[in-house]
Amino acid sequence: MKTFRLQAIALLFILLASALGCSQQPSQQKAGKDNPAATGTASGSGSQLDAILERGVIRVGFDTFKPWAMKDKNGEYIGFEIEVARRLAEDMGVEVEFVPTKWSGIIPALLTGKFDIIIGGMSITPQRNLKVNFSQPYEYSGMSIVASRKLAGDRSSIEQFNNSDTTIAVRLGTTAAEAAKNFLPKANLLFFDEESQTIQELLNERVQAVVASNPLPLNLSEEYADQFYLPLSEDFSREPIAFAVRKGDLDFLNWLDNWVRVTMSKGWLQNRYEYWFFSHEWESQIQ
Amino acid sequence: MFLTTSKRPKTTLLDVVILAALAGGFGYILFKAATGLNYHWKWDLIPQFLVRIDPKTGFPVPGLLVQGLFTTIRLSVWAGILSMGLGIVMGLFRVSPSLFKRQVGMVYVGLIRNTPPLVLIFVFYFFIGDQIMSLLGVDHFVYALSDGAKEVLSWFFGPMNRFPRFLSALITLALFEAAYIAEIVRAGIESVEPGQWEASASLGMTRIQSLRLVILPQALQRMLPALAGQFISIIKDSAIVSVISIEELTFQAQQLMTTTYRSFEIWTLVLVMYFVLTFLCSLAVRKLELAVNR
Repeated sequence: MKTFRLQAIALLFILLASALGCSQQPSQQKAGKDNPAATGTASGSGSQLDAILERGVIRVGFDTFKPWAMKDKNGEYIGFEIEVARRLAEDMGVEVEFVPTKWSGIIPALLTGKFDIIIGGMSITPQRNLKVNFSQPYEYSGMSIVASRKLAGDRSSIEQFNNSDTTIAVRLGTTAAEAAKNFLPKANLLFFDEESQTIQELLNERVQAVVASNPLPLNLSEEYADQFYLPLSEDFSREPIAFAVRKGDLDFLNWLDNWVRVTMSKGWLQNRYEYWFFSHEWESQIQ
Repeated sequence: MFLTTSKRPKTTLLDVVILAALAGGFGYILFKAATGLNYHWKWDLIPQFLVRIDPKTGFPVPGLLVQGLFTTIRLSVWAGILSMGLGIVMGLFRVSPSLFKRQVGMVYVGLIRNTPPLVLIFVFYFFIGDQIMSLLGVDHFVYALSDGAKEVLSWFFGPMNRFPRFLSALITLALFEAAYIAEIVRAGIESVEPGQWEASASLGMTRIQSLRLVILPQALQRMLPALAGQFISIIKDSAIVSVISIEELTFQAQQLMTTTYRSFEIWTLVLVMYFVLTFLCSLAVRKLELAVNR
């Protein structure tokens, strides 16, 4: 009886291990050339570009970040990144399909072929770049701090937040979390899955400050003017934002780079950036 | 819920005191939540996420959260059907005379019941899901569909473009729940008196026949309430798949909160929506139990 049970369990583990082993292979292959299983095509030159054109749909991974990407009242996606994605698809001559994905798992989802590209305000970092390829940056976003008047009312420099009595809330897996680690190594960090949770912590006075990409800190300090304030007059970092694609596909990367160059030169990107980040005209569409 | 006895129980002074204390405590919490949290409550924004008026046609259409609720219901119903099938097979395996089948059943139930569903979902979605999807050719199937077919199928499975993910989530949820159902089935079959087996064997029935004609009809009657209860668990557990970005109620709520920063109102509403859904199911289960026991 006992030996049988052991055998059965051993067999199952072998099966599991082999399943995991097999699943490792495609992702390695994908790094070299496109994987027919993930892209739904066996194309000639092996570029993701051909796969997208053949499918007639580009699948875009992103997560909800105000104002990069949000849902409006009708359940349609709107925002800066959404407009960029629509424009990019239009220039490619394909339909766009949005695949909302949790930020903390967005890179694994790209690597396992759940979508073709990340267009979601992703900052370039060397660590991320080891796993994915980045195009030219198509926008720059700044990191800022929004702090509680009651708990941190007299602080006006980044150094004043860098001590062990300070607790900071940040969103998991974002460059804000990275920046907080680097700029505020002595502070205690609390990580949350969603932006709304970090804001709630600040409202409940459990943390002194939230580190996030602008314009969130700016908007918060306006909405809750009696409770929050901006301790720093300038953003403390400026990060390049780029498209992320799977490794080993130079054709796709080349197309994206040149798309950024062309669209920049027309001024379209800058114009849309101004609209989404510095105007409030679109607020009525979401609330 | 409500016992229909001939005598109404008397209300004593103690009952009144306890009720007053409870109401007071609850009221105090609500009061603190409304005033002490430094939170700007804006309940007037919330109804549009349930039902909104389509500007083009002027008809009311389901809002974001209700769409999420539909996905939750779809997911639960399909996962319920799938896990029922798999659970019954595995449950029969667990009481099978064949040692191999018993071992398979035991390993399956043991593995699933001793792993957290969240971890299971991640592992399945990122490592195993892809293999199965490409084996089945789900992606090809979806992209090759005509618009009409997509329209029809989306009633059953939600937006067809996201069908591969939906299927991944569905299979994971079904695998997870089937382990619990297998145990219910095993307990149900084992609760049938051994005399029933002997009696059907003495009539010259094979094992399959006796299961089908004698044992299962009796066992099913005993299993029904527990199975229905497990279905309610499926509805609640379906919230877990929000981590792989299936657009069910919890995920939609999180997206909305990120957009509107209305965390408390939305979580409260979502809580109520889940409660209403599962409570209705509980009532149905109760009806079922009464019908079975009659």
